[in-house]
Amino acid sequence: MRLVPPKGHSPEDFNRAFADFAGVVGKEWVFATDLDRDTYRDVYQPSNEERHAPAGAVAPASVEEVQALLRLANERKVPLWPVSRGKNLGYGGAAPAMSGTIVLDLTRMNRILDIDERRGHCLLEPGVGFFQLYNHLRDSKIPLWLSIPANAWGSVIGNALDRGIGYTPYGENTAQLCGLEVALPSGDLVRTGMGAMAGSRAWQISKYGFGPAWDQMFAQSNFGVVTKAGMWLMPEPEATLSLSFQLPEREDIVWALELLADLRLRRVIDTSVTIGNYIRLVTMTTQRDEWYRGEGALPESVGAEIRRKLGIGWWNFTVSLFGYESVIEANARIVKDAFAGRRIPEIAEKRWRRGEPIENSAANIPTVYFLQVVNWWGGRGGHMGFSPTLPIDGEEAFRQFESTRRRYDEFGLDHYGGFTLAERSMTNVNMILYDRDDEDLTRRAHGLFQTLIDDAAKAGYGEYRTHLSYMDAVADTFDFNDHALWRLNETLKDAIDPNGILAPGKSGIWPKRYREARS
Amino acid sequence: MIRAFLIAASCAAAFLASPELRAESADDAIARGESLFAAHCGLCHFAGETGTFMLKRRLDAAQPALLAERTDLEKEYVETVVRQGLNSMPWFTRAQLTDAEMKAISAYLARPR
Repeated sequence: MRLVPPKGHSPEDFNRAFADFAGVVGKEWVFATDLDRDTYRDVYQPSNEERHAPAGAVAPASVEEVQALLRLANERKVPLWPVSRGKNLGYGGAAPAMSGTIVLDLTRMNRILDIDERRGHCLLEPGVGFFQLYNHLRDSKIPLWLSIPANAWGSVIGNALDRGIGYTPYGENTAQLCGLEVALPSGDLVRTGMGAMAGSRAWQISKYGFGPAWDQMFAQSNFGVVTKAGMWLMPEPEATLSLSFQLPEREDIVWALELLADLRLRRVIDTSVTIGNYIRLVTMTTQRDEWYRGEGALPESVGAEIRRKLGIGWWNFTVSLFGYESVIEANARIVKDAFAGRRIPEIAEKRWRRGEPIENSAANIPTVYFLQVVNWWGGRGGHMGFSPTLPIDGEEAFRQFESTRRRYDEFGLDHYGGFTLAERSMTNVNMILYDRDDEDLTRRAHGLFQTLIDDAAKAGYGEYRTHLSYMDAVADTFDFNDHALWRLNETLKDAIDPNGILAPGKSGIWPKRYREARS
Repeated sequence: MIRAFLIAASCAAAFLASPELRAESADDAIARGESLFAAHCGLCHFAGETGTFMLKRRLDAAQPALLAERTDLEKEYVETVVRQGLNSMPWFTRAQLTDAEMKAISAYLARPR
């Protein structure tokens, strides 16, 4: 991929910037060849698309190098796009929102700075991945557990800053952030929360400092580069208990969600329950053409055959409980009693006790197994996630699900859908799978995505996270008081980053100099 | 003069024989490559993981699905796949895997057996 600078820049500007950066990090950590640029593209983007084209990358090893790079970027007025490990697959990976942005790759900043076993927290650099931290805790025999997302290839901090989730009681990963260190666009360094006091004894244990709380201002934003973050870790429980359910009919979701809503609200269940349709399971281990080679979305008759052959329900989910054995057994009885009398297959139960292999517990261990869903259509594959937020309400969920399914049918795509339950809201997670070398399929995938954004906004459902290509469109749906939030974000952006060098376009927030690039 | 030369040659030989400066042996290089393969590739290419699953689906039954058991891999091919991806396998940047690390891995996978 050749270098295509953004409007107002020349290739010479960038070459001078790369030379400056090499003076900071060493030339071996500046990546500016055509092949380098290819390696920072969105993995699931078709090869012939030129959106989100990186200008190259630079990989610092320390906070001081990050600060120096930011200062140089201001002098040269070149844009930087920070990534922790660049593994945000399905949302754009390491690629920038605005073509011609240089990726600031923090992979090399991968130190586990501190782990406090007594109080259950750690302090990490952004390049620390889930596998790395998991292995460290295991090898050091530290009885603290991670909250691990389905795709564990990425950064612990990066995932939390993009509001990813895991499946333990600490599963709202962004809520486990406690105290950040941030390099601002100017190169200045700030610590949030109690860390704003030098020598603080409470930086990673108290979420709030004094005055406005800033941790979330650096989540899904372009206001600073997070160079350290505190994360809370769950103490190893005495036991776990998993209850696995199958719901035979599509309409069963209505009553099941009502039951789960109450159990979730009362914290009988304190983990993110993910209820997925059968497509979620069949795409993990098979390919589409093993079941159906006709036109259009999978017919329901084929769906029935899939469920029969794989022995799965229309909906499938697991309720996982963590804690003292007496407590979780009591909570499990409450859950089972709630479902008693319903026409569903027997609930499968799995127990784990401390001392047994962790692989047998309800905790995830890091894996990237989930990624093979992208091979559903064959070819090089691709996926994007469309995930609006709804109240936990059975009837409302069913209406939204059916409306979405009809849209998938219109676009001839198979509806991979489900709901992930937080305490009061749920995310309606829909995966759009495609083959990125099939131009028609890819075009339909993007057409579906935009349509779903529009439909969800009309129904009052905003997305919690989105792909680079849709950040402007999703930001546009947050339109209260004539897009007041947009104005607030841009006011702050112009103040904190007057030269517009940091992640232009992230979450639809554009600095003044590039505002016309907004789609 | 000759004595000085012999002394110098002897010192040079001793110096070059020291562990710090001895060239890495072929076995050491392959061991290093194996270690890097485990750290960077194992998450997909060990038994039961997604890369092995996908290779089993794609390759004929005569070829092992476990990458480390393949005997037909050439270094240049491995390096191309690492930097450009293959099918559903994403590529690796030079921040994730330096060229030297990539070459160590390709040497391990292409090792003579």
